[in-house]
Amino acid sequence: MIRTDLPAKVSGETLFGMDLGEPGMLWGALVLSPVAHGRLRGLGFAEARAMPGVEAVVGPEETDRLLAGHTGDPERPVFPRDVVAYRGQPLAAVAARTLAQARAAARAVRCEIDPLPIVPDIESVFPEWPGSGAGEHPSVIAHVRAAHGDLEAEFRAAEFVQSETYRTNGVAQVALEPHACLARVEAGRWLVRTSTQSPFSAREDISSILGVAEESVVVEGTWVGGGFGGKAGASVEPYALLLAASTGRPVKLALNYAEEFLIGRSTLPSVVHLESAVRGGRVTGRRARLLLDTGASLPGRDFATGYAIGFLLGPYRVDAFEVEGYAVRTNKPPFGPHRAPFAPQCAFMADSHMDGVARRLGVDPVAFRLVHAWAPGDRTPLGQVVGPFGMIECLQKAGALLATWRKEIPYGGGFGLGVGCGFWSTNAQAGGEAVVRLTPTELVIEQGEREIGSGSVVRGLPAVLERVLHVPAEVVRVSYSDTASAPFDSGVFGSRTVAGLGGAVEKAARGLSAELARRLGSTGVAHLSVDGGGLFATATGSRRPVEELLTPQEIGAGGLRVAGKHYGATGAIDDARVSAGSFYAYTDFTAAAHLALVHVDRETGAVKVLRYAAFHDAGVVIDPPTFRAQVEGGVVMGLGSSLTEETLWSPEGRLLNPSLLDYRIPTLGEVPPIEVHAVPGHLGAGPFGAKGLGEPPIIPVPAAVANAVADATGVRVYEMPLSAERVARALKLLPEGGEER
Amino acid sequence: MGFTLVAPERPEEACEILASAAPGQVAVLAGGTDLLLDLDSGRSHPDRVLSLRRLPWRSLQWNGPTLTIGSTLPLSEIEVDPVVRARIPGLWDAIHGVGSLQLRHRATLGGNLGRASPTSDLIPMLLALDASVEIVGVQGIRSVPVDEFVLASRSTALRVGELIASISIPEARPSAYVWQRVRPSNDISQVGVAVARASRAPFWRVALGGVTPRPVRLPEAERELRAERPLTPEVVRAAEAAATHAPFATDKRATETYRRQLVGVLVRRAIAMVSAPLDRPVGWA
Amino acid sequence: MPAGSTRVNGAPVDLSEVPDDERLLDTLRWRLALRGTKEGCRTGDCGACTVLLDGRSALSCLTLTHEVEGASVTTVEAIANGRIGEAVRDAFIAEGAAQCGYCTPGFVVALTGLLAERRASTPVSDLLEEMGGNLCRCTGYGTIGRAIVRAREAIR
Repeated sequence: MIRTDLPAKVSGETLFGMDLGEPGMLWGALVLSPVAHGRLRGLGFAEARAMPGVEAVVGPEETDRLLAGHTGDPERPVFPRDVVAYRGQPLAAVAARTLAQARAAARAVRCEIDPLPIVPDIESVFPEWPGSGAGEHPSVIAHVRAAHGDLEAEFRAAEFVQSETYRTNGVAQVALEPHACLARVEAGRWLVRTSTQSPFSAREDISSILGVAEESVVVEGTWVGGGFGGKAGASVEPYALLLAASTGRPVKLALNYAEEFLIGRSTLPSVVHLESAVRGGRVTGRRARLLLDTGASLPGRDFATGYAIGFLLGPYRVDAFEVEGYAVRTNKPPFGPHRAPFAPQCAFMADSHMDGVARRLGVDPVAFRLVHAWAPGDRTPLGQVVGPFGMIECLQKAGALLATWRKEIPYGGGFGLGVGCGFWSTNAQAGGEAVVRLTPTELVIEQGEREIGSGSVVRGLPAVLERVLHVPAEVVRVSYSDTASAPFDSGVFGSRTVAGLGGAVEKAARGLSAELARRLGSTGVAHLSVDGGGLFATATGSRRPVEELLTPQEIGAGGLRVAGKHYGATGAIDDARVSAGSFYAYTDFTAAAHLALVHVDRETGAVKVLRYAAFHDAGVVIDPPTFRAQVEGGVVMGLGSSLTEETLWSPEGRLLNPSLLDYRIPTLGEVPPIEVHAVPGHLGAGPFGAKGLGEPPIIPVPAAVANAVADATGVRVYEMPLSAERVARALKLLPEGGEER
Repeated sequence: MGFTLVAPERPEEACEILASAAPGQVAVLAGGTDLLLDLDSGRSHPDRVLSLRRLPWRSLQWNGPTLTIGSTLPLSEIEVDPVVRARIPGLWDAIHGVGSLQLRHRATLGGNLGRASPTSDLIPMLLALDASVEIVGVQGIRSVPVDEFVLASRSTALRVGELIASISIPEARPSAYVWQRVRPSNDISQVGVAVARASRAPFWRVALGGVTPRPVRLPEAERELRAERPLTPEVVRAAEAAATHAPFATDKRATETYRRQLVGVLVRRAIAMVSAPLDRPVGWA
Repeated sequence: MPAGSTRVNGAPVDLSEVPDDERLLDTLRWRLALRGTKEGCRTGDCGACTVLLDGRSALSCLTLTHEVEGASVTTVEAIANGRIGEAVRDAFIAEGAAQCGYCTPGFVVALTGLLAERRASTPVSDLLEEMGGNLCRCTGYGTIGRAIVRAREAIR
């Protein structure tokens, strides 16, 4: 057996947030704004309150009463009081005896809103590329700029300048389980069981939004039916808690899938202009400008722009550069973190651009990228030193396989091969703590995360322990508890679980090893083994049953506990290069190169991916089956955003395709055979040199597919996803000047 | 929500229930895979839902050359019939491409026709097969060609107190249904092309889905196909006629211009599949 | 509606209290406490709520409870009681074919129905295509595809 969580998941015993229920519970439903922008005149609750089964309708006024004496973050009110900023913004919440009653009552709430003019998209703010001073535009809520070197000189000296404009569209996480929680308020304590990627940051958010003390909030994570960034922090919990406070009863609140698409925090569109000065077979100067639709995000709270823009430059050396990014506030729901927030989109643009320059030079695109790829010890454009980093090896291997595949496909005929590169930074910085508890028969990892699917908690953490103490998997167990009793952890994001929380487990395990060795009279390390159902500890020739090494007090207290903490180093960028806003400093660099074989139907533009290979600089692979499954999953999610997935918005700010029918994630029959390769040689900051693998597998995919399409057709597509219609347009199969979408 | 479910055993009873109700009061449930979405979203809020599941209409039979399919037979039952697949391959293509297997286990041909979705993949094929609809009602029994049955988006020729009892296809025909979808499984076609070759002149039927406001026959394309085995110039002219005359519009699935490009390609491919059936690929273009 | 002799996982159930507009999905999850059947999209597009009705896979979110009157309903909780279901369960565990696990019961039930319905000689590619009604976002279908191959081999 590969993972201990499998039997219960396969037999349906595992219960998720959506499955929460208890006697006497009420069902909640949200009242969502029917307009994208407007002045809220009032909400009419009378009709809803009179409907059968309705126990509470809570809006801004009721919230004030329920939270009297508490002051929440004024910038994050539970419900808006004045201006509605996007369609789907929660305006009120209803609790009733059945879900159907709650939803019917939510529909019956009258929303009196005077519509205001809306900003639907980037183009409505900047029909042309903005000049200097765009940072002052009222719709721009964040502006970042960095530069280094003599860019003008490089452009003057260039043999040619490659200048391109790219576009990306919104993508949604599509965790199959919608956001769901069950809340209760008891004796001044705000208790919620919820499907979350990060119980502790959910606790922090709830405390900040409701204005209640963090100690009075208790978050208990459930099994999570997929996260992908969408279940980080608080989402539905504050509404459920208010309904519970209002009724004095437990309240279940879950989004339906249309709501999930609308307010589940998806990613939004961007427009990017990339320009390269090319001389002597190299890109010597690079200018990158990003306009990012951040939806109704609050000024100052845009995390995405400074985070995303670093990905537009790498993983390539350049002598001189300038990058500038603007977060454009629109009347869409706020931008959220979708697996590797904006890195796949940036890699698509940056790597399509590099591929295009190589083709214009008439050189091999892989060789061209090898000329530029960061090597360990190089500095990034923002001045960070690249640590252990296997981009060159990944590219070399992908290039070699490309040459093999090239021989196996017919020349022309619509077939094409492409390589995409991507880098990521394992978040080694966020903190985590864990306790390892040893009993005479088992080892228990006490910690505060829930498994979201990748296996990083149920398999990654035990694998670390197994390696330190040489114990078989059968005697290792992971326990979970709520934020009141579990050791602190930052959450499952940024590929950090094994590297960060795993680091804490490693430290605890090493502490336990040393303590056992001490009890065995040794100054070295101890290992554990299993014999006849009991655990034995061994150090420098001495071997005794664990039962004899533990004190009666320890056995009475459930075992010997050793704690470990991991608070990693922060990265540093060269501040002298930054002239506006803030950029994200990467911590532990990781690389990947992917290879795609596609077929393009040259009459319809339809693209099929026939074969795929992924090479990952993953440091030391802690658990090979989990590694393979994780890469396969990321690649297929990336194939969706490369080819079929995009959110479509009307000029009125309405999401046109909020369903799994019209937002098309890949299905089984479409998936190509995928080869997965670990490329060793560069140790990460995680236990034993592990690197994170949550985000990296999705990052290079759109670039690999786009470059393969360019190889197959000789034509570049500047917008993702590469829908058949966009490819057909690029192939000039459609009349010019027709309506685009 | 909040309706009463009735499931009569005799067609007369079912028609009586419909005839005695005001418009919109009774919704008809054949498989439910489309109706239940409307009930959930509140687009439809009938007092009663009339289930057809007990009616004696889950049948499939050949009478000489004619195939008659009961209106409540699940699509998957038609799909697994080897005779249907061999003799009317286009019908198999169209049915097999509907939704998922789970959906086809419940969805029915009668339900698909009765709901008259503008995006139906089955109606174009039924048009190309010259299928007709047998209707029972309080006034008696009548038969209407599919082309006259489907009036517009979500609108049919059914009168008060009438139900679809069965669908008849007059003869087995070499045929094909090809489509383009963003995703091959569980998606709605951007364009669907149904082509069938009749046993006597005029030989060819061409019908389209993904058009507005309802699937249509395309006589302009059919007229170009004179020979039983048309030569390339004829096929090209038919494809061009289809691209010119198809009543396409722009929606969230595709623009009108792209649909015109697609239909020209798919008409050629569908005719080729019917003319040279040996190495036909399955529906997905 | 009069209660018929409906059986869920082999045991007769009394549906007389179930309102006419209730979905089978809700009856199973909230009346019969069979929460292995998962609620995903509720619009028939994800397959997480798949159950077997007289052996055939069906979407319990798009099925009114009283429409299955007289039928035999099988959910994931009892799927491994049969030979094919047992082979499917074992194959999913052996191949590690679950990550978050939310889609998994739907896959297990749908594949059990499919293998029972189709001949064992059905090509793997056809089986994969027929499983297109079940969406998974975590695995990329790699482990699931291998589990399908393994289950097919096990019952041949």
